[in-house]
Amino acid sequence: MILQIVGCSHHRSSVEIRERLAFSPKQTSTFLEAFQKSYPQSEVVLLSTCNRTEVYTAGHSSDLIPSTQEMSMFLAESCGIRHADIHDFLFEHADEQAIRHLFSVAASLDSMVIGEAQILSQVKQAYRQAADLNQSMPLTHHAFQAAIRVAKRVARETNIHANRVSIPSIAVGVFARQIFERLDNKRILVIGGGKMAAETLNYIQSGGGHDFVVVNRTQEAARRLAEKFHAEVATWDDLPKQLQLADVIISTTGASQPVVTTEMYRQIERGRQQRPLFVLDLAIPRDFEPAIGDCLNVYLYSIDDLQQECERNRDARASEWPKAQKILDQETARFMSDLAHRSKAPTIQRLKKQAQEIKEAEFERLMNRLGEIDPVHKKEIEASLHRIVNKLLHPPLESLKDESEAGSAGLLDALKRLFQLGD
Amino acid sequence: MNWLYGISITCFAASYLVALCLELTRVFFRAPLRKFLITGIILAGFFAHTIYMILQTQMQIAGMGLFMGSWAGWCFGAAWVLIVAYLWIRYRQPETLAGLFVLPMVICLIATGTGLGPDLAFPSTKARTVWNAVHGLSLLVGTATVILGFVFGVMYLLQTRRLKRKLPPYRRIRFPSLEWLQQSSETLLLISMVLLGVGLLSGIVVNLINQKIGEGVLPWDDPVIVSSGVLFIWLLIATVFNLYYRPARQGRKVAYLVLASFIFLVVEIGIVLGSGHATREPKEPGDAVAIKLPAELGIRSPLTGLRGGS
Repeated sequence: MILQIVGCSHHRSSVEIRERLAFSPKQTSTFLEAFQKSYPQSEVVLLSTCNRTEVYTAGHSSDLIPSTQEMSMFLAESCGIRHADIHDFLFEHADEQAIRHLFSVAASLDSMVIGEAQILSQVKQAYRQAADLNQSMPLTHHAFQAAIRVAKRVARETNIHANRVSIPSIAVGVFARQIFERLDNKRILVIGGGKMAAETLNYIQSGGGHDFVVVNRTQEAARRLAEKFHAEVATWDDLPKQLQLADVIISTTGASQPVVTTEMYRQIERGRQQRPLFVLDLAIPRDFEPAIGDCLNVYLYSIDDLQQECERNRDARASEWPKAQKILDQETARFMSDLAHRSKAPTIQRLKKQAQEIKEAEFERLMNRLGEIDPVHKKEIEASLHRIVNKLLHPPLESLKDESEAGSAGLLDALKRLFQLGD
Repeated sequence: MNWLYGISITCFAASYLVALCLELTRVFFRAPLRKFLITGIILAGFFAHTIYMILQTQMQIAGMGLFMGSWAGWCFGAAWVLIVAYLWIRYRQPETLAGLFVLPMVICLIATGTGLGPDLAFPSTKARTVWNAVHGLSLLVGTATVILGFVFGVMYLLQTRRLKRKLPPYRRIRFPSLEWLQQSSETLLLISMVLLGVGLLSGIVVNLINQKIGEGVLPWDDPVIVSSGVLFIWLLIATVFNLYYRPARQGRKVAYLVLASFIFLVVEIGIVLGSGHATREPKEPGDAVAIKLPAELGIRSPLTGLRGGS
């Protein structure tokens, strides 16, 4: 089996290049169909996420699948860009290196945020889409199933996925969860319309939150964010009232002075009736005066407070890295050995068949010469011939097995030549 | 099924202790199978605990000594209720460290029960009415809810302190959310008020019945009755305050209310123990004192270590 990968990822290519090489699900289908038409003997899977675009091809021999050069040209052509413009940003892997790369991607060890869980479902989705178009994909099926198994093993045996590492995910998944049991009955106020606010709202929304209100100095930015999350929009003058009603506040303005002062908070504090308030001040400089954090039932976190947790989690993940790499080494070696063994299977079958034919021919010849004999003796002779064949074949087959575990292929060729088995 | 009579306090106390040790190891390392192991050990302990309580109660019915009428039985009963609550918490909040707070209380209750011994019993009379059972049971479960409320209150305050100080969360363990702890404390406050109120009222009825038969009557100004009344009034005030004054339902105030309730309870128990409400006087057969097993069974009492029969 030959497995090849051509693609780009966040390691060597900028977001501009990745954007140009990105495929939507519909474009992926078109690409796969076109590829199948051009290379009908080849199996192909296209994985396209925001951080990578990778084309996996597999075939029984190198002459049945395109070369990596042909693959990269096909990729460039499909995206409507010149091959020369992307050539330097693409990477190529083949055989063991390709398998290791696939395992690493599926286990989220090659991700921008190591340990993020989304990549495994993207890998599964990429394979499923390719399989839907081409029913017969035995080689890639074997490789992708192994990759999914490896990803699960890494998740099970290491803590690499255990800790969140982005500020919004920590804010919601770690700190908000320590204060509130549920978010679906909480009012979430967003002050400002920044990217970080949108990202945080994504996490809150996936945690069940839906009662959003956006306050911004410019109404247009507020509306844009509000549309995306089906949120209410309130005017800037309405901010004190919204502060009073909110349970969670995400603040991301670009203001140079605090937007909410302690004095302002004291004015609305009575109206809140001491309900807990979780404030995520993600702005630099800060939007909330730090003294507000001392008020009763207010839990105020700035970006620095969350950053510490991010770094702690990154360190924790890094400490799990060697363990994950060890699993990757073991699984890659296992897969390659299994693959080598599978590739020898046709030769072994031919050898056994040839031996069987010789045995049967000799047995028939002997029976013709002996004439009528006792059925018990006939059976004994047949069993004896069978044992001779098996005993003769056993040592070379065992040596072949040992060799496949060691990863070389010299004996297979020798066997083919010695027994004239052909290709 | 004679092996069931071999179940002793050590069986379930050791189970709870091992489960507590396993809970403690969560601070140090990750072990995916640990939670199943803890649940298994707790369930095994709970089974032994239940069998022990059933057998002791059966003996009570057989007139061989009133187990639940002794301080030991009462402590083991409260521990049993706490374990039921702990299993419920494990089901609702499986990843939290509630066990580190609940199990020490359970072990303390078992240790206290064992320390006080089976001879220290509540006063009892020959008149056994349903009111006696209501009185005993409501006070037992009410006490357990006050203890559980105390546990939740402590957890709430610790969690608030951590969050206010912006301390990083623990790696492998976590507290239940403040919202959950607050709502649970509120519910426990209400339940304990109702149960202790029922306990107090049924106690008054029992005393009135005793007055009629002229036996085992407590004077109305007895410190036990007065302190029970004070505890109930406190719980009533705390519950009404909590229900009708909205800020009281927020944050630390609920925690302070349940902590204060626990302190009242400890004072109340101290008064009961110190006032002679519990006695070591030998009683007639059928009265509440030591646990004695039927001699014909030839079984050693797990609590006293003595052979049953007298």
